[in-house]
Amino acid sequence: MLELRHDTTSEIYAHAMEEFPNECCGAIMADGVREFVRRCRNVQNERHAEDPETYPRDARTAYLMDPDDLIKIHREVDTEGRKIKAFYHSHPNEDAYFSAKDKSDATEPWGIPNYPDTVYVVISLYDRQINVARAFSWDESTEDFVEVPIGVAGDM
Amino acid sequence: MAATVRIPTPLRKLTNDKAEVEAEGSNIESIIENLEANYAGIKERICDEAGNIRRFVNIYLNDEDIRFLDGKTTAVNDGDEVSIIPAIAGGR
Ligand SMILES: [Zn+2]
Repeated sequence: MLELRHDTTSEIYAHAMEEFPNECCGAIMADGVREFVRRCRNVQNERHAEDPETYPRDARTAYLMDPDDLIKIHREVDTEGRKIKAFYHSHPNEDAYFSAKDKSDATEPWGIPNYPDTVYVVISLYDRQINVARAFSWDESTEDFVEVPIGVAGDM
Repeated sequence: MAATVRIPTPLRKLTNDKAEVEAEGSNIESIIENLEANYAGIKERICDEAGNIRRFVNIYLNDEDIRFLDGKTTAVNDGDEVSIIPAIAGGR
């Protein structure tokens, strides 16, 4: 179960809506009490423009988190003692499934999950209307990503 | 020159579970060679057959992506921190 605060969910939904029709991406940091949404830049369009052979998709159907944002997240882990609770991204005009690309990119380039303890949240929206969000995490026993329910933190 | 190298979780089985190791070298390339000498197998994880940094591997010198510095020839100074961090990507 991934428990998210109501504010966190609102913030990632707002980000998904603002980036539409492109995919958004970011991280949810947590220190045990508070949660912090870190919006990241999706650099997929830049990479696609530079090298369309290596990056055949543009930002409407793919995301690549800006490496500068990613290092900042890691610094926050080091200096603030927070953990990366989840990475999130959106699927504009698509359902909230963990796609083949999501799976392969989460295990590239070594064939094992890069963040085995971090949940991936996928937000589905159609036009600028949120449809649903689903969460997926690595399951040791089946060696695959499986859906985990999303709950609201604080709700009993 | 000794730098501290941050190792990502999936590669820590090569470094006896250490998240940070020391490496010697005057640039990123020689740091990688020095890592390989101490932790066999790590170079092929970081670099492809042609010797280029793998596409899904980000290497930072302190807080700068070496892609925007001088790549593998980026100079490393004593006390610098080199971070190896896999990219975050996906799509529909
Ligand atoms: Zn996806």
